[in-house]
Amino acid sequence: MSRFLLHRLLQGLVSIVGASIVIFLISRLSGDPVQILLPSDATPEMIAETRRTLGLDLPLWHQYVIFAWDALRGDFGRSYRWQMPALRLILDRLPATILLAVCGLIFSVAVAVPVGVLSAVRPGGWTDRVGRIFAMLGQAMPAFWVGLLLILLFAVQLNWLPAFGYGGVSHIIMPAIALGWYPVAAQTRIVRSAMRDVLDSDYIRLSRALGTPERWIVWKYALRNAAVPLLTMLGVYFAAMLGGAFVVETIFAWPGVGRTVVEAVFSRDFPVVQAGVLFTSILFVLSNLLVDLTYGIVDPRIRDDR
Amino acid sequence: MLLQVDQLRMYLHLRRGVLRAVDGISLHVNEAETLGLVGESGSGKTMTGLAMLRLLPRDAGRIESGSIALDGRDLTTLTETEMVREIRGRRIAMIMQDPMTSLNPVFSVGDQVGAPLRYHDIARGAVLRSSVIDVLRRVRLPSPEQRLGDYPHQFSGGQRQRIVTAMAIGCTPRLLIADEPTTALDVTIQVQIIALLKRIQQDAGLGIVLITHDLGVAASLCHRIAVMYAGQIVETAPVRAIYRSPAHPYTQALLAAIPRLHATAKRLTAIPGQPPSLIDPPAGCRFAARCPHRMARCTEPPPMVDLGDGHSAACWKLAA
Amino acid sequence: MTVRRRIPLWLRGVPWLALLVLAVVGICAIGGDDILPADPNQLNLADAFRPPFWAANGSVDNPLGTDNLGRDILSRILAGSRISVIVAAYAIVFSGGIGALAGLVAGYFGGVVDAVLMRLIEIQQSIPSIALALIIAAALEPGLSTVIFVIVLTYWAWYARIIRGEVMTLKGRDYIAFARVAGVGTPTILMRHLLPNIFNTLIVLATLQVGQVILFEASLSFLGLGIQQPDISWGLMLADARQYITNAWWAITMPGIAIMLTCLSANVFGDWLRDRLDPRLRQL
Repeated sequence: MSRFLLHRLLQGLVSIVGASIVIFLISRLSGDPVQILLPSDATPEMIAETRRTLGLDLPLWHQYVIFAWDALRGDFGRSYRWQMPALRLILDRLPATILLAVCGLIFSVAVAVPVGVLSAVRPGGWTDRVGRIFAMLGQAMPAFWVGLLLILLFAVQLNWLPAFGYGGVSHIIMPAIALGWYPVAAQTRIVRSAMRDVLDSDYIRLSRALGTPERWIVWKYALRNAAVPLLTMLGVYFAAMLGGAFVVETIFAWPGVGRTVVEAVFSRDFPVVQAGVLFTSILFVLSNLLVDLTYGIVDPRIRDDR
Repeated sequence: MLLQVDQLRMYLHLRRGVLRAVDGISLHVNEAETLGLVGESGSGKTMTGLAMLRLLPRDAGRIESGSIALDGRDLTTLTETEMVREIRGRRIAMIMQDPMTSLNPVFSVGDQVGAPLRYHDIARGAVLRSSVIDVLRRVRLPSPEQRLGDYPHQFSGGQRQRIVTAMAIGCTPRLLIADEPTTALDVTIQVQIIALLKRIQQDAGLGIVLITHDLGVAASLCHRIAVMYAGQIVETAPVRAIYRSPAHPYTQALLAAIPRLHATAKRLTAIPGQPPSLIDPPAGCRFAARCPHRMARCTEPPPMVDLGDGHSAACWKLAA
Repeated sequence: MTVRRRIPLWLRGVPWLALLVLAVVGICAIGGDDILPADPNQLNLADAFRPPFWAANGSVDNPLGTDNLGRDILSRILAGSRISVIVAAYAIVFSGGIGALAGLVAGYFGGVVDAVLMRLIEIQQSIPSIALALIIAAALEPGLSTVIFVIVLTYWAWYARIIRGEVMTLKGRDYIAFARVAGVGTPTILMRHLLPNIFNTLIVLATLQVGQVILFEASLSFLGLGIQQPDISWGLMLADARQYITNAWWAITMPGIAIMLTCLSANVFGDWLRDRLDPRLRQL
């Protein structure tokens, strides 16, 4: 692996460790967890005893080391609410979140690419103008509202799709749309601007001069070039999906990490919250790192420099 | 006659006015002959080349009048689909100036050279592969079989120009329009490319329109030369005649402006003044404002005077 | 052509509609309950679930309808703008202030200070903002201050990074070198020479942030981690309305439209300001 990638990996590691410290510190902000655990008539001895058992009488940095060490061995504590190891709870729900994030990404790309390409090929045309307006609106609409509107229209009024749950394709359509909605505007802009540049390039002009049909020029020879900036950003957008999943999962009762963490927050279930946020952050950092990896795969020029 | 262009006019309709890029061009090219289209930047020579393939800016460019006859067939009457399918890359091909940017960076060389063959239904599958290797060999690219999967950035500038040439001649076109094919290359590579074009011309009877501002390159490759100024052709002649006895004052000034190695001149001879605006060109001779031989008559458009032996020039001085 | 020339240059292309919406929001925020058409907290169970005035059962008394407790939705929406403005104001001032200061110091001094700042920014950016909000809300009491705290913690890095870049460009300029040679103290250089030059950028960043802050607060309140009853927030209204989504479509759509219009206006205005003051920020 090249030096650059190694450096980025190291950077990611530092970020994750830093994130874990932040997560740990914030959890400790909540005040005395002992109060939550014990009944209100507990004696001072019981409180002191519990404190010692939980290691809460140790200095803060020591507590962090224990936390980190445990975490590395997979022990995040036991969920108060669900009565099972927090890590297992999170890992069980992780695939559902990743599935949702991937589908959201597929939706946003599936909209952004055609709209971006058509916008670039026919500037000022119908697709361009409508596309721009929708993009502007889309960036002003919060994901949860999009989700609610979708439910209102497709589940309540039309009764075509189920309003919540986990099952077949029909269950993932609306959550994926609600999740993938927001980045469409930015992605369309990237595709449109990249296509405009590419369509102006010398090699496209040569293709045209040598009689390549326009359809092939746009969708094969130009798009493959214009896709490079978009593909390299996919990691960033996937990370954004992870962030948006928290809210979307809650609305659609999607059994993923996001919804679990939100529920855990209301139950003050710290082991789950810590595990959930930490894992999401790890995925987040990895996805952003993916950008540097994919760049090399997608652009043959960079491939050989590595 | 392979190509006959008659009074071609191509205007660009811009917001600020109508730009008369190609204003009444007449020229012809025979088989196995190279016609040089020479002129300074902005003279309209590239536009003429594009107009011949009807590759005009989509909304702005329009052929106003005139004809472009390839083997007798008038290209101005064809539909866009016919141009794409039958003419471009198939009967008339084009190569452009900068080999570093002429090739698509994310597609392999084999794919790009094979593309014209594929889209014009010349070859497919295994036959396509061998045809591509064949044409790469013809342009003298070393070990073509191994390099089909390589990408443009893995080749040098000279090699890339060969690859571009291979793309152009793959379907054995009748005419090749070469727009400044050597300008972006080293002098040593220039020589190689010129030799390549010469050889291809001899092998296939290819007609070539060589667009250039470099009179030296023109001299080494062209049989005849047409000099362009401000969207019009001012002089056409066999190559020797252009250099030995240029008739038009502009041609004379151009040749005089070439610095000579052995001369002891202290400054470069330039042609005073600027080319006229093509949006609002002067009514008469367009070179009159800068011409040392300007007469009163030059306010009227000069006739194309036939000086014999295929030499003609548009100048009032010669009309008398 | 003459008509265009009559509009002075600085007034040309101003997004009037966006400014109008923002002005309405601002007025409602400052005006207090008295300027509202109805009392936003007035319960009126008899009038519950009244649709907007153009629908079958609607009346002009409640132009956008009523919610499950009979409260006038239009008044609640206008009252909710108060929260949006307060959150935006505090969030921008604090995150902008802290971020700008950090960026200024890191950009100017470089070295260890800069390295530390960059690591902090990276750490902050490795936790998705909602997740950060969740964990903070789990630790503290949900409420207005929590929301502001979360937004500040999320956005300071954004400011810091951009301001740092600006400062690093500026500190190489001649007038900074002259000031140093002339013996001007570092705090003065920072305040008197660098700050005014990054001011434009700061303004643009602040206006661009407004839209995002509105969306963020709405999301938090919707989840129940932000503004709490009986305060009014658009996100909270949507959370309530969700329970009776089958009965009252207007309760779901109207507050959302308010969010969308305000955010859109802020974005449009921010883009316009950016194009006029500092177009280099376009790539954001």
